[in-house]
Amino acid sequence: MSEAPLLAARGLRAVRPGDDGPLAVLDGIDLALHAGDIVELVGPSGAGKTTLLLALARLLPGVTGELELEGVAAREVEPARWRTRVALLPQRSTLVPGTVACNLRLPWELHIRSHDEAPGDGALRDALGDVGLTGVALERDVSRLSVGQASRIALLRVLLSRPAVLLLDEPDASLDDASAGQVARKTAAFAADGGAVLRISHLRADASARARYRLLDGALTEVGS
Amino acid sequence: MSVDGAIVIGWGELALATVFVLVTGALSIAMSLKLEKDLIIATVRTYLQLMALGFVLRWVFDNQTWWIVIALMFVMVTAAARVVLKRAPDAPPGVFGSAALSMALTAFTVTFAVTALVVRVPTWFEARYVLPIAGMVIGNSMTGIALAVERVFSDMEGRREEILALTALGATPWEAARASVRTALTAGMMPTINSMAAVGIVFIPGMMTGQILAGADPMEATKYQIVVMLMISAATAIGAIASVMLMYRKRFDAEGVYLEKGLRPEGRKPQ
Repeated sequence: MSEAPLLAARGLRAVRPGDDGPLAVLDGIDLALHAGDIVELVGPSGAGKTTLLLALARLLPGVTGELELEGVAAREVEPARWRTRVALLPQRSTLVPGTVACNLRLPWELHIRSHDEAPGDGALRDALGDVGLTGVALERDVSRLSVGQASRIALLRVLLSRPAVLLLDEPDASLDDASAGQVARKTAAFAADGGAVLRISHLRADASARARYRLLDGALTEVGS
Repeated sequence: MSVDGAIVIGWGELALATVFVLVTGALSIAMSLKLEKDLIIATVRTYLQLMALGFVLRWVFDNQTWWIVIALMFVMVTAAARVVLKRAPDAPPGVFGSAALSMALTAFTVTFAVTALVVRVPTWFEARYVLPIAGMVIGNSMTGIALAVERVFSDMEGRREEILALTALGATPWEAARASVRTALTAGMMPTINSMAAVGIVFIPGMMTGQILAGADPMEATKYQIVVMLMISAATAIGAIASVMLMYRKRFDAEGVYLEKGLRPEGRKPQ
């Protein structure tokens, strides 16, 4: 692929304390995500998949190496601004106390998006319908959501904020097959719109993935999809 | 013996008060609580520390200068800051300065506001008024500040996943920590507010009791006590807000990432 990647990582290295001394969880990772990409990340538990996502979102202290977003070096982008463009959805979806609407509009409550206009009720209802949550009212308190519903709302919250790159940490871990299919379609639409997706997959392979990488012993290798 | 309406306690009567401790010690032995050693140490410390305080105060009252009064307040502030951090084992390294600054801010502003504007002492460093009032301000606000500081760090650790999600959405450390800061300030203020609600009905405060025992008119003692209660609430609020606002950010790195337990380079050494 010739065009510049949306997100590029070169020589990413993260060392964490291990049982037998310091352990290089990421040991010189090179990765490029282009517009339209859906890339799957696999590997055994504890291999460092979440660590890689945190490092790409600049949410992990002590990481060395180079990161670029749309050709601009990470050091030239304010961390909070970077995270609005390279959005991580953590594995355990966490909603703040309040209603569904409150959570979906949370990104616009933050200083970094204070000048942007939050989506209206109609847009929020459409988004809920896209992931099979038509029956969930915007006024419903999040304490009355199931785990699967909460995880889809957390995904929508990130998608509605329109990042360039989406980092998904097992987004379908708590979903049934039908709901997981809706999430896959939603992320595929995001990529088709010019975004890039890197997702950790344990349970299901994403049929629309361009590539699949295995993370093992701190290194990334491409495996057949 | 009576002096100015107060019945003076002699050394013999003071020693007799130790009987109360003997009763407690006997109960501890009878119920196998194993508190005897702690009880003896605490009793000896009470005698020694308060006798020492009495001697120091008597000397300071006779030889008062502004710098002795200020120096003693700094000693009290430093000791209180150490107690605050001891009660907050989860606080990050390098927060002693913040604790001491908050305590000093509270102690000096509230104490001198009360002595200058309410009590209207003739000399601004009048030790007989400044030191006891500073003691009450520091001692009472210390409890609220310690509660708030302990709570802000334990609450943030409990909310670490929510904080990660917020930071991932672009939140600043303040936006990510705000809910914990509010929880902590409520926790720090609540004992003072409860105490204000119960005073005069459930209990008679120590200072008012002391003044009445010393022969003061109950209405005069009441006025002082109201000033003290309001002063303590202000001191707790100022101290808790200052300390929590100065400290919470230290749990985030320069890039605004919350340092949960697994990401911290080293723990704070116990005070």
